[in-house]
Amino acid sequence: MVRTFSEACLTVGTLIVLFVAYVLLWTGVKADRAMDGELARLRDSWSAAARAPAPGPAPTPVPAPAASPGAEASPEAPAGYPAGRAFAEMYVPRFGADWHKPVLEGTGTELLKKGLGHYAGTARLGAAGNFSVAGHRRTYGDPFKDFPELRPGDAVILKDATSWYTYTVRAGPLRILPTETGVVDPVPDRSPFTVPGRYLTLTTCDPEWGHSHRLVVWAELTGTRPVARGGPEGLRS
Amino acid sequence: MYGWIWRQLPGNAWVRALISLVLVLAVVYVLFQYVFPWAEPLLPFNDVTVDEGSGATP
Repeated sequence: MVRTFSEACLTVGTLIVLFVAYVLLWTGVKADRAMDGELARLRDSWSAAARAPAPGPAPTPVPAPAASPGAEASPEAPAGYPAGRAFAEMYVPRFGADWHKPVLEGTGTELLKKGLGHYAGTARLGAAGNFSVAGHRRTYGDPFKDFPELRPGDAVILKDATSWYTYTVRAGPLRILPTETGVVDPVPDRSPFTVPGRYLTLTTCDPEWGHSHRLVVWAELTGTRPVARGGPEGLRS
Repeated sequence: MYGWIWRQLPGNAWVRALISLVLVLAVVYVLFQYVFPWAEPLLPFNDVTVDEGSGATP
């Protein structure tokens, strides 16, 4: 009897250790693999889109997705990105020189295991409104682990098929309640912005291992440049 | 429990050890592949958006 009980305790203990290892390590391994896959697919689709049109004139510095005639992007700006697919890459120099993650359309649980999630219904990259992105702070690769290190003035750089977009952090990180959905409004609640503009909002969970609050950072578009002219300063590639 | 399993395995000690190892690996595989992915969303680390509290999914 005592023997069976101690064996049961040992089994439960082993299960817990295995589960912790799964959450801390294995989800990261899986997410890194998934994110690399998404990035590779994204770059493939970009190079395919770049090869498809006849070699035309030099790219115009217009952020509109006019240069992708495939099924990629529709010409009218209000249309959303295809759900569940990666459509951009994000670089945040504050998180490290080699930190870059795919941004996927949607914020579902399964989707956030493969990259950062763009809130469906918020603005497109570089467009007027609020381009809002959520990401894991812990588990699944810890993409937003250093979120609290962000400071006003930091750059959040995004790249899509045609352009680089540099957003500059203006406020945050601010701790808010999960119900404060106004922070992803076109003119975000509680942000220093008061007039419509081209904004970016990042959200993640707070505390680090909990879900009682969210952390949020707001940024403002400060520059765009065509992909052909290379990445913005502060970025090597 | 483990003693009972050990006694059910055929062969000598080496064969039993080998079978035990395979059984352990199979259990770990099932846990990592099916059980833990099911259990993990029950933990709060997935709540990173500002809409889940209100139940509204954009």
